[in-house]
Amino acid sequence: MKILYRATYTYKFLRLIYEQCEEFISTLGEIMFYCIEFVKGLKSFNTSFKEIMNQCSRFGVSSLPITLSIVGMTSIIVSMQVAGEMVKQGGGNFVGMLIAILTVREEGAIMAGFAIISMIGSSLASEIATMKVTEQLDAIQVLKVNPVHYLFTPRVIAGTLMMPLVVIVASLFGIVGGGIAANVTSDLSFRAYFDSVWFGLSMHDLSVCILKSISFGFAISLISCACGMGAKDGAKGVGIATTKAVVCSFVSIVIIDLLFAAAFFS
Amino acid sequence: MGIQVKNLVKSFEDKKVIDNISFNVDDGKILSIVGFSGSGKSTVLKLISGLIEKDSGEINTSGGDIAMVFQYSALFDSLNVFDNISFALQERKDLRGKYTTKELEKIVAEKLELVGLSGIENKFPSELSGGMQKRVSFARAIVTEPRIILYDEPTAGLDPISSTLIEDYIVRLKKETNVASIVVTHQMSTIRRTSDSVLMLYNGKVVFEGTPDDLCAERTDFTKQFVNATIEGPMKMNI
Repeated sequence: MKILYRATYTYKFLRLIYEQCEEFISTLGEIMFYCIEFVKGLKSFNTSFKEIMNQCSRFGVSSLPITLSIVGMTSIIVSMQVAGEMVKQGGGNFVGMLIAILTVREEGAIMAGFAIISMIGSSLASEIATMKVTEQLDAIQVLKVNPVHYLFTPRVIAGTLMMPLVVIVASLFGIVGGGIAANVTSDLSFRAYFDSVWFGLSMHDLSVCILKSISFGFAISLISCACGMGAKDGAKGVGIATTKAVVCSFVSIVIIDLLFAAAFFS
Repeated sequence: MGIQVKNLVKSFEDKKVIDNISFNVDDGKILSIVGFSGSGKSTVLKLISGLIEKDSGEINTSGGDIAMVFQYSALFDSLNVFDNISFALQERKDLRGKYTTKELEKIVAEKLELVGLSGIENKFPSELSGGMQKRVSFARAIVTEPRIILYDEPTAGLDPISSTLIEDYIVRLKKETNVASIVVTHQMSTIRRTSDSVLMLYNGKVVFEGTPDDLCAERTDFTKQFVNATIEGPMKMNI
């Protein structure tokens, strides 16, 4: 009897893993399909400038306060923790460099990515998922308009264009915030801090940061739209699609980050 | 020619939801499809409109556009009434750029007048009642002057007066534009007022085909059960 119980639990556990893998592969397939559809849609590009601007405003302007807060506060926290120690050890001249490199290479983009996913990615997914379950996507299709081209094009273009801008502004904010924190907590002068920032940053870092942000923006907007399109079964389906969009976007930007680190900094 | 459906079959996973059905709807005629919930009525509309692929069988239409009025209107809630109605004219590949803004305004105003809702171009769907939403979706469906119109429960959830209004539009449109129409409905009043013929589905199969008068004559057990709305009868619901 005990063996049977164990077998049942083992079976259930393995079955769960199998289902998760199946779900992951099927989601990956869906995302690839929509990516190809999106690229096809670019050939017959017809999205209005106004719609792209609306989506840019959504990505850039409405997400900016939370992105600035997250990136800024992370830099401030790091600066508060390391500046004092570094000044004590005689490395005060390197605090700016450390914060700048950390923010531009890693923290600015990844934190902004997380903020954009939770604010914009989830809203994109739930918007499209709601359209799906309320038959609005069917209506678009019956009116002979391709829903993927109509919905994805402005959103993915806006995401790809706005993400680097958001990351640049957020990184600047983070560096300045780090400087203020270093000055307040360790009496490090602003001049010493910003001299160190200029010394530490390179064009290579900035270029990689921009490239990475573009990839993040593309991935977040595409995955969020794709997960929204895959929604089914009413309100519950909208919730599932939104969660899936957030989880897949998180995982994807971490993987992209890893690939960039391996390609440019290893 | 209208719509010709021959030996249509559609299954979802292992369940056959449409099982070898055939029917014709000529231009200028209205066919009502009736039956219990889950009998495959809406699936027929989705197959004809191309929203889902058939497994086998033939669907031939007289060409031109196919329009569909959805059960819950399916208006685009982020767009106002003007953009909803002119959506196809603005976004469809073959129609894009064909109309100036003035022409679009004129077309939208005409369609809104037809459904008795002039002057609401700037309102959003959330600002409209259910009946008004339905009429706007009606205007959106006919904006490209389709040759076939599919109505998925057009009077569901509406008060009797709004239902009569919608039924009048369906009949008026048929007379004015000679379109072939299919109406999926549960309402006997809609069947009586609008239909030239009726098809009853049960478990994806045709169990009755005839005129509304034939249906009301209750000659078979199926029609008797449907018209009298009784639980006892050959059609068993999974409740």
